[in-house]
Amino acid sequence: MGLITENTPLPKLQPVKFILNWGRRYSLWVMNFGLACCAIEFIAASTSKNDFIRLGVIPFAHGPRQADLLVVAGTLTDKMAPALKRVYDQIPDPKYVISFGSCSNCGGPYWDSYSVTKGVDQILPVDVYVPGCPPRPEALLHGIIRLQEKIKDEDIQEKFSGKLTAPAVSS
Amino acid sequence: MASSPRRLSPPEVEARLRARFGQDVLAFEDQHGHAVATVSTGVYRDVCRFLRDEPELGFDYCDFTGAVDWGDEGGFEVLTHLFSTTHHHNARVKVKLPHEDPVCPTVSDLFPTSDWHERETMEMFGIRFEGHPQPVKLLLSEPFEGHPLRKDFPLMTREAKPWPGAAEGEEEEEE
Repeated sequence: MGLITENTPLPKLQPVKFILNWGRRYSLWVMNFGLACCAIEFIAASTSKNDFIRLGVIPFAHGPRQADLLVVAGTLTDKMAPALKRVYDQIPDPKYVISFGSCSNCGGPYWDSYSVTKGVDQILPVDVYVPGCPPRPEALLHGIIRLQEKIKDEDIQEKFSGKLTAPAVSS
Repeated sequence: MASSPRRLSPPEVEARLRARFGQDVLAFEDQHGHAVATVSTGVYRDVCRFLRDEPELGFDYCDFTGAVDWGDEGGFEVLTHLFSTTHHHNARVKVKLPHEDPVCPTVSDLFPTSDWHERETMEMFGIRFEGHPQPVKLLLSEPFEGHPLRKDFPLMTREAKPWPGAAEGEEEEEE
């Protein structure tokens, strides 16, 4: 079939889309951008009891350049925001972002603070929001499954064209 | 040479301070075993140096430097907490400053630990520390405007959406 480009007809892509999306959603190298107590819940989700490696999320990306998924776990301050943006920019496309916890969703308990960014979605596109303060590891597992459902249905052409799809919300 | 600990009680610290500085010790309190002296701005550095260098007092460690905003009338209060690693006693030195253009002498040359604390106090309250070797922001980002720990600092989010709970102090009145 040759190289897949933007001009490849869509029907020809369907089997490839299935296989490619199947491969991508079960090998998500994750970058943990841990900023506060939520990072501990993230670590708990990676250890043996909850173990998100069984969902194909690999927690040992050596750096943002090797990662597919960015989990922002914790309170993002305005001073830290440029660093987060830089890490996000270093991740190669296609990339996904999970906003983990109330602080990174909307500021959380620091909603009226002078220093806290009220939601990471102000500086980068978020695919899945996981609510809670902090969310339990199970909530992250649920968020990962929601992200995998999203990747499953993703259109390759749309994703690679750089157009961003609407975020899904985890419950 | 480390000598054996000999804790001084707050009245003993007060007696030594009053003997040395007289009228410049404006007030003195015993707060939970800590000596708390309010001194005039002019002798603030001398008091800190005296507390540090006098062998019986030996306050060789500055725990923190901070400030309190008492509003337009009350002005600012800069306080420095000192601890003696030799004698294991605590003291706080307070200085009253006006709300308009507050300037305080630095003690960062006497106690290097107070360097960052003074920078934080500087950005949070807008108090200038005269003689500080590096008077730049410590925690806030460079473009940040205003002094967030001042009572009159506006919280923009609260301007848009008022605090949903009871106002401060109301809860106690209800009980």
